[in-house]
Amino acid sequence: MEKRETMWESYRRRGLSRRTFIKGCVALTSLMGLSSGMVSKVVEAAETKQLPVVIWIHGHECTGCDESFIRSAAPLASDLILNNVALEYDHLLSAGSGEPFEEHLEKTIQAYNGKYILAVEGAVATKGSGIYCMSGGHPFLETLQRAAKGAAAIIAYGTCAVSGGIQSAAPNPTGSAGIGHFIGAKDVVNVPGCPPIPEVMTGVVMHVALFGKLPPLDSQGRPKQFYGNRIHDTCYRRPFFDAGLFADSYDDAGSKAGWCLYKLGCRGPETYNSCGNIRWFQGMSYPVQSGAPCIGCANANFWNQGPFSDRLPKYGPLGDIDKIGAGLAVATTAGVAAHGVLSVYQRSRRDAEAAESDEVKGGEDK
Amino acid sequence: MKHVVVDPVTRIEGHLRVEMQIDEGTGKVIDAISSGTAWRGLELVMKDRDPRDAWAYIQRICGVCTTAHALASVRAVEDAFGIKIPKNANYIRNIMAASLTVQDHLVHFYHLHALDWVSPLEALAADPVATANLQTTVLNAYKLNVTGYPGISTEAYPKDFPKSTPQYYATVQAKIKAIVDSKQLGIFAAQWWDHPDYKLLPPEVHLMAVAHYLEMLDKHRELVAPHVIFGGKNPHPHYLVGGMPCSISMDDGNAPVNTDRLAIVDRSINTGRTLINNYYIPDLLAIGSAYVKAGRVDGGGLAKKCVVAFGAYPIEEYNGTTNGGFFKKLLVRCNGVVENFGTPNVKFIEFNQEDLQSPDTISESVDHAWYEYDKQGASLHPWEGETKEHFTGPKDGTPTMWKELNAGGKYSWLKTPKWHGKLAEVGPLARYIVIYQRNKMGLLPDPTWAEQMMLQQIDMVSKLLNVQPEVWMPTMVGRVATRGLDCQLSAEISKFFFDKLITNIKSGDTAVANMEKWEPSTWPKECKGVGVYEAPRGALSHWVNIKDGKISNYQCIVPTTWNACPRDDKAGHGAFEQSMIETHVQIPDKPLEIVKVVRSFDPCMACATHFYNAKGEKIQTVTTDPYTGTHVEK
Amino acid sequence: MKKVQREIFYVFSPFLRVFHWIMVASIIILFVTGLLITKPAGILATEPTATSMSVDLIRNIHFTVAYIFLAAFILKVYGFIINKGDRLFPHFWRGYFYAQTVDVALHYMFLRNEHASYLRNPLARSSYVLLYVLVAIEFFTGFAMYLMTEPDAFSTQLFAWVNVVLGGEMITHYVHHYVAWFIILFAIGHIYMVIRAEFMEGESEVSSMFAGTKILAHHPLDEDDVDPDELDNADRLKRWTNVGEGISKIRNVGGN
Repeated sequence: MEKRETMWESYRRRGLSRRTFIKGCVALTSLMGLSSGMVSKVVEAAETKQLPVVIWIHGHECTGCDESFIRSAAPLASDLILNNVALEYDHLLSAGSGEPFEEHLEKTIQAYNGKYILAVEGAVATKGSGIYCMSGGHPFLETLQRAAKGAAAIIAYGTCAVSGGIQSAAPNPTGSAGIGHFIGAKDVVNVPGCPPIPEVMTGVVMHVALFGKLPPLDSQGRPKQFYGNRIHDTCYRRPFFDAGLFADSYDDAGSKAGWCLYKLGCRGPETYNSCGNIRWFQGMSYPVQSGAPCIGCANANFWNQGPFSDRLPKYGPLGDIDKIGAGLAVATTAGVAAHGVLSVYQRSRRDAEAAESDEVKGGEDK
Repeated sequence: MKHVVVDPVTRIEGHLRVEMQIDEGTGKVIDAISSGTAWRGLELVMKDRDPRDAWAYIQRICGVCTTAHALASVRAVEDAFGIKIPKNANYIRNIMAASLTVQDHLVHFYHLHALDWVSPLEALAADPVATANLQTTVLNAYKLNVTGYPGISTEAYPKDFPKSTPQYYATVQAKIKAIVDSKQLGIFAAQWWDHPDYKLLPPEVHLMAVAHYLEMLDKHRELVAPHVIFGGKNPHPHYLVGGMPCSISMDDGNAPVNTDRLAIVDRSINTGRTLINNYYIPDLLAIGSAYVKAGRVDGGGLAKKCVVAFGAYPIEEYNGTTNGGFFKKLLVRCNGVVENFGTPNVKFIEFNQEDLQSPDTISESVDHAWYEYDKQGASLHPWEGETKEHFTGPKDGTPTMWKELNAGGKYSWLKTPKWHGKLAEVGPLARYIVIYQRNKMGLLPDPTWAEQMMLQQIDMVSKLLNVQPEVWMPTMVGRVATRGLDCQLSAEISKFFFDKLITNIKSGDTAVANMEKWEPSTWPKECKGVGVYEAPRGALSHWVNIKDGKISNYQCIVPTTWNACPRDDKAGHGAFEQSMIETHVQIPDKPLEIVKVVRSFDPCMACATHFYNAKGEKIQTVTTDPYTGTHVEK
Repeated sequence: MKKVQREIFYVFSPFLRVFHWIMVASIIILFVTGLLITKPAGILATEPTATSMSVDLIRNIHFTVAYIFLAAFILKVYGFIINKGDRLFPHFWRGYFYAQTVDVALHYMFLRNEHASYLRNPLARSSYVLLYVLVAIEFFTGFAMYLMTEPDAFSTQLFAWVNVVLGGEMITHYVHHYVAWFIILFAIGHIYMVIRAEFMEGESEVSSMFAGTKILAHHPLDEDDVDPDELDNADRLKRWTNVGEGISKIRNVGGN
């Protein structure tokens, strides 16, 4: 098998200078949130590790994750897929199609066995042996299992691949699920979000490409550097929450002033994502900054946690648990009061009966 | 006779399979089928959800035309509740819709379609000096100097302009050579690069186009910045039933929209106009005219038979779709149907609210789709739509290993939508045909600036190609060309609505949301609504039924369902199949012409296969256990 | 007039009693602040620079009280170790437990005129177990949300699994909020039942939570569940005592 080239070799081959290469490494260091002292390590990693092959497969999805990926600004999509990785298979960008394309997938899996990165976008449709998601004449489930076998690392891109996503929302008509259970004992980097932030998606690939290993993951397999904080804890509107300043309705004074959207149902307090720090489009905005409460799209099962407009679910005319709870408390109080009255009545009757029987008994004694 | 399968068709959204019977002697396609091979069941997921959240769920139908379904959804729910959105919300939504169209068309042309026309391998033979000269020639000859929206431009000079130095093209060429030499072709792997179609254009065109492919890969992101400002992110920006969530305030630094934020939108709109006018349109027309000159005017699909469009961009806020308000204030009055375009029997029929509601006008059949109706052979209006899944497997192979699908039976997860019993094509081509024909027949009184621009575009392209619109439009090249024209138009429309937004804010109106009908207590017990939107890929419609504050039925008919649908026993082939049948294939084993014509529709399969079964019938399960064999559970 | 002989039973250690009253205060404060955190009242709004009444303060009170409540539980545990009367469990493993439960339940449903006397009746015992389960749920869900500010910390790892088991932090939040209401419903029932027992059945339920002792004129069925020597140990005498006349007759139902 031919040796895969390193990032440095790739720079040399493409006629780029050592200076350009170092500059690229410096940019990557800061992208990955590492201190400048780490530059030499990044340079070393880029020089010595092989340029990775990426296979990107699609299950039940909307291609929003692909679209997000190609909106990355640092690294730019072109730099990433033409200079830093070899994206050998991807339904959105690859030139090929049909039979030769499927053959190319098989060849790539064999040629780079144990060495390629498998990126998975979309959920696995499990019902009916996978007939709800067919590609190349066979179920996606089969493609996933075949490609996962020889993968050095697997990246689950988007909430669909991580935990099933929109198609797995109740009643989950196609039995869709995240890929976790279908890839054997492989390590998975979970990159949830609907879709994930572009630079988070590319950042994960860059980390694997540079360091030759998965980025540090949290207990749910998510890269800590991107999913280590709740949006609420990194939100620029957090001071307004702490100060009790809220938007009470869309387009009210609080909404215009950019106050906290908690009362409009914001899921920031439950959601782990980089929206609050990296934000979208290089710090341009994120839903909260645009006045829209977070819907928690990086959370497993968030589709079943609606309505998004309320922090507590409402039960039609009954209202939410606070309304129901207050009602139950009143009802309970009334209930115990009634019970108390009945108890007093019961005791007085009981005492009367007892007194009567005492008298009878006393009479007999005499 | 040769049976040829292309599965997966890539560089599209979702999972598509095409099969055809090709006469090897003549290269004629005898029969072709188009099959959507995935079904996600989102219509079932929509049931019992809060209608105010519908946009978030249904937007996830598609991440490529993200925003399209959210917009149609909020329009449908607002129609059901009778909500009139504020002026600003209408302008903002139109800016978002138009900037989606700009970005989506541009990405389609360069990244999803270009590699069917140009090849990085051909580019290796190009002379960089000649390519630089070609760039100049192309800008001189093919830049369409149409009169756009006559507003004031905030841009001093075009920030992105095609580079035409030999050094630049030599560098790009060296890069392509290095990639080819490394044998790691990456995204350029496994294409039929030796196909004769790639010889149709000179090597310099290939080099120029590949260079632009790379540049646009890094630029396109800037075109959807309005989504990030107004909706917080892209893909999948946020919407609001009753308006938009992005409050406007010139008094608050923290406001979602203030001058600083509007300046970002303005910059993005200007970038879009520049990229389209200086890259997309010249590249498109240079390549397209070469094909027309080579006599490649096939692949017309249903453009000559029946095209449908719903009308685009309400100029001002309107108070409903089912009551016709939407259709009265359109910037682009392409709400109509043109039958038999280019023939003496050509007909134009205006499309309006009655057509959306009449069960005779729009209906769907499932003759060849993996569903069944209670009444066999029936066609049902989406509001009465019913679906029982009925997966029948392929003609040859097993349910999980297809060799050949059953063209005579069921073979797709797409239903077959019909206009008065006829199959139709939708998309930018349909919009341009409708406007052109409507005007030609004198039925377009007082054309708006946008309609005038469209007519001018058609006229200029006809002069450039030196053929009549009736000849070049209903072809594959025409479909690709009108998409470019639509892109140019949409960039101007963004600018138009941006100016309207500024003017309105200037007048003191900063409202973006009408919250009168926000609380469920203000909703009728039962209601239904329709939302329509001319999405990048064509006429999109969402139907919603709401009962007791919850969605009881949600239906969509999306552009790709119109175009990619399986055949109908009475009405014949859908647009994909028809265009494949009309296409001449030079090498049956390498059906580049087929994937090219299919991609000329910009297929969005995930959009196409998600509707129906809002009634929640029990789904049949096909079990293909290797031990117990294949059987169907009821 | 009759003289009624009464006996003192030492039931609750001071540790349990202090814990109990801390729990009462904590639950009230936690509930009120919890409701305010979910739906911050307009009155809490202050400009960002001010810190007097704000959601941040309310949250800090909620967290501080939660810690105090948790710390006070140590008292309960200590009492549990040293004093038999702090360990009045429902005896699920004994057959009589169910018969006694039916007896008490029928009385509360007015289907029986009275029930046997207990230091703590089986229904009450079960309800306190339920309360501890509810409090434990609040404890685990509360810390699972609170500590996730720093997901990597060791202390977080002790609770993070709750979010996974429940299916997400949003669900954790729902559970935490719903269970709070159940605790309030319990409290209403509890207050009524102890007052009822004190004044209608002469069971010294309320006073015992202050004094630690029950002074009863009868022998409760479960008197073996407290340590008879405890009063000696506590420098008191186990003694029979005569109390004043005029107290209505109390029949010893369970003595036999």
